[in-house]
Amino acid sequence: MKIKVAVFFGCQSVEHEVSIISAVQAMHSMDREKYDIYPVYVTKDGEMVTGEELFDIEKFKDIPKLLEKTTSVTLRRQDGKVVMSFAKKGVFAKAKEVVIDVAFPIVHGTNCEDGTMQGYFEFLGLPYVGCDIVSSAVGMDKAVFKDVLKRFDLPVLDAITFYAREYAIDKERKADEIIEKIGLPAIVKPVNLGSSVGIKKANDKNSLIDAIDLAVSFADKVLVEKAVTSLREINCSVLGDSDECIASVCEEPFMTDEILSYEDKYTSGGKKTGGSKGMASLSRKVPADLDENRTEEIRTLACKIFKALGCCGVVRIDFMIDTATDTVYANEINTIPGSLSFYLWEPAGVPYKELLDRMISLAFRRQRKKEDLTFTIDTNILAGVKLGGTKGSKGSKI
Amino acid sequence: MDKIIEFIFSIRFFYAFCSLLAVLSAVFGMTRQMQMFQQNSYFPSRYLPWLKGDEKGKFILRALFFVTYAVIIGLGGVLIAAGLLLIFAVGSIIKSISVQKKSIIPLKFTMRVKRMYASLIVIGIIITVLQYLLLKGESYWLLSLNVLLAVFPYLSVLLLWAVMYPTEKMITKHYINDAKNKLASFGGKIKVIGITGSFGKTSSKNILTAMLKEKYEVFTTPKNFNTTLGVVRSIREYLKPQTEIFVCEMGAKKTGDIKELCDLVSPDCALITTVGPQHLDTFGSVDNVFKTKFELYDSVKQKDGKVFTCGESEEIKSRIGGKDVILYGSDDSFSYYADNVEYTAQGESFDLHLAGETVKITTKLLGSHNVMNIVGAAAVAHSFGVSAEQIRFAVSRLIAPEHRLEIKRYAKGSTLIDDAYNSNPVGCLEACRVLSRFAPMKRVLITPGLVELGSEEYKHNFRLGEVAGECADYIILVGVERSKPIREGILKSGFNEENLFVAENFGAAYNIYLELADSNTAVLIENDLPDNYLK
Repeated sequence: MKIKVAVFFGCQSVEHEVSIISAVQAMHSMDREKYDIYPVYVTKDGEMVTGEELFDIEKFKDIPKLLEKTTSVTLRRQDGKVVMSFAKKGVFAKAKEVVIDVAFPIVHGTNCEDGTMQGYFEFLGLPYVGCDIVSSAVGMDKAVFKDVLKRFDLPVLDAITFYAREYAIDKERKADEIIEKIGLPAIVKPVNLGSSVGIKKANDKNSLIDAIDLAVSFADKVLVEKAVTSLREINCSVLGDSDECIASVCEEPFMTDEILSYEDKYTSGGKKTGGSKGMASLSRKVPADLDENRTEEIRTLACKIFKALGCCGVVRIDFMIDTATDTVYANEINTIPGSLSFYLWEPAGVPYKELLDRMISLAFRRQRKKEDLTFTIDTNILAGVKLGGTKGSKGSKI
Repeated sequence: MDKIIEFIFSIRFFYAFCSLLAVLSAVFGMTRQMQMFQQNSYFPSRYLPWLKGDEKGKFILRALFFVTYAVIIGLGGVLIAAGLLLIFAVGSIIKSISVQKKSIIPLKFTMRVKRMYASLIVIGIIITVLQYLLLKGESYWLLSLNVLLAVFPYLSVLLLWAVMYPTEKMITKHYINDAKNKLASFGGKIKVIGITGSFGKTSSKNILTAMLKEKYEVFTTPKNFNTTLGVVRSIREYLKPQTEIFVCEMGAKKTGDIKELCDLVSPDCALITTVGPQHLDTFGSVDNVFKTKFELYDSVKQKDGKVFTCGESEEIKSRIGGKDVILYGSDDSFSYYADNVEYTAQGESFDLHLAGETVKITTKLLGSHNVMNIVGAAAVAHSFGVSAEQIRFAVSRLIAPEHRLEIKRYAKGSTLIDDAYNSNPVGCLEACRVLSRFAPMKRVLITPGLVELGSEEYKHNFRLGEVAGECADYIILVGVERSKPIREGILKSGFNEENLFVAENFGAAYNIYLELADSNTAVLIENDLPDNYLK
């Protein structure tokens, strides 16, 4: 009896394509002996479709053609299970239905990775892989993420956050205020986008305004922090849950620009190989060239951050080392990292197949922990109450 | 047109109509019998004794009705007979509705019940049609089998049971095979743990499941689904593909029951809690009880699995042994054991020794039987790789069933041991012994004593008094008259009479308790709800 896994990917997000690459990669690495895989591709319109074609990355080059061959699906709860029903093809066809045991969201960015999709699964009562609603949401909002880490005395760079409307009133004044408080050079980020989308470095006032203009086109809320001029970026992945977690080896991505750009992360590697291979193909050094103490410091920090947010599954935490002061800062967290950070786990002795297996086990573990807690009281309070009065049950004995 | 009217008013049609009325009465009249047949698990051997008791006095009335009805027909009162049938049908429907509404456990319309009802309707219609085709217009028509079934509804139940027997057997077999296939489809990736024993198997099952869940995806037979069909049903309905361990409670009422379950689930590991004289009426002898429980042991041995059992019982120890048998108990002659048991306001704590490893356990489950349940479950869980730390955590979260040696905070910061739902004599003595272990705390017992034990009542209450006198520092009895036997027992144990109080009612007892209570007091409330004192 195989476990039926629905892999969700795509979505209405700027990282739509990245998600497709990560998901197809993962689906090809899952243990077919143990799992029946149902790919669920969420189109840019938000429609959920499934089909055999979705296993083939080549087919995604022509999406309208691909969608002709797929079937749209809906999920619903029935008899304590979650059923995925396929849209009928033809008037007389019988609608196909399948019980899904676990959802595996491999989505990146807002509208999905940020707790949205996790909320959908919680609502259905479907066990799902990865971070829960709160950790996903905190992980997505770079400003809130910093606040939470500060609360746990974990190292982050100070930053200013403001809203687009506030900035639009007087751009120059806002720029001056930032320069006064943060100084230059500074980094401008939309708070809730991953994969470095909309992030820019500003070296003077004009470039600062340009950078904020770019950022507000992606998000309503913007964060500006001081740019570390002599920096190394180090990433580390964590696997586990709030009870127990382990850190992977560290990596050091190489930048073609001053900041690791979206192109760096997902497309630069692709140019050479002819087909994009996602995060796994980015030029980087694994394990990062760090001394033992620094490596341990970062790995320990990574686990602390993982627990502080209450994460689950696999995450990747990006750190910065200010080489001038020799200080480590946590920069951001990816609650569903590109390629699920498998390339950081293989050198740590966890093959991709096993990594996926462990992630799914963690989903079931969280579900059974949740089931052991009480969410509903078995007795129906309304059953013993006379309804109809406007005062409800006040004063009546149950 | 005329022909149709003529047909409707023809005597043959009229008789057919009466026959259908009888079918209607039979169908609705069967509700209560069917309900009881269902509650006796569809076994005539269990249903008939109930029926015998229930039918006392009623049979005469039914027979009288039937004879009267037959006589009326014999005298040519066809219309009166039809009227009687109509009244009977309406009465049956009303009674059926009231049975369903008023019963604590109404008849559940399972597939099986639906099949039985459908068969009854089919039988009734066949009889009607046959009569219509074969007979002309004789008045004895009105005395068909349908009428008999309507008047004696248990005949329907027994008839249907006999008619459906081969079909039900086949369906059962299909379900069993289906469950077997589902288990087989895991391809050996699922480990099955069988739990049996005369006492404590449900508690052990729950404790073991909590421990295993720390590490594995566990599926446990729900509630007390411990018969073959119960296990089949839980496998078919609830077993999920991600399950890694299946904990199967195995109940037995007669020899061969456990073997049947083992053939179904083929366990890899066994936990036999305790074996004692239980269900002797169906087992025949204690020896047979042992033999049956050890069917699990035989089955596990075939798979080279381990068998865990309580070594405290000499009888068990003398009957099984070998390197695959792991005994647990309460001293260091066992590899799994508990010692240094202490009682505090937090509950029970003890040192749990797991094959060389020791952890301090604190649990809200009180009583020496629970210590053994925990040790047994821990031994199994540990052998499955659950760490001592995980076992400790799982145990710390266990809670007692409501009002069954449930430990709570009570008035003036005192500690309440709420054993309100316990009304069996042995359990009450065990509860008193639990209370005695709370020394050096001040120990108070509040109880109205045991009731509804018939001729044994005096004896059991006297004994309760004797034990209570040794276990408590203060005793408050509720009810002046009825507590006399306990009082005698208490005084016989040499208990200081100054510390013995008798209260008129619960409120008065509670007020006495308030005078005694402080944060260093443990109070056992036995066989009555503590909330009653607060009203």
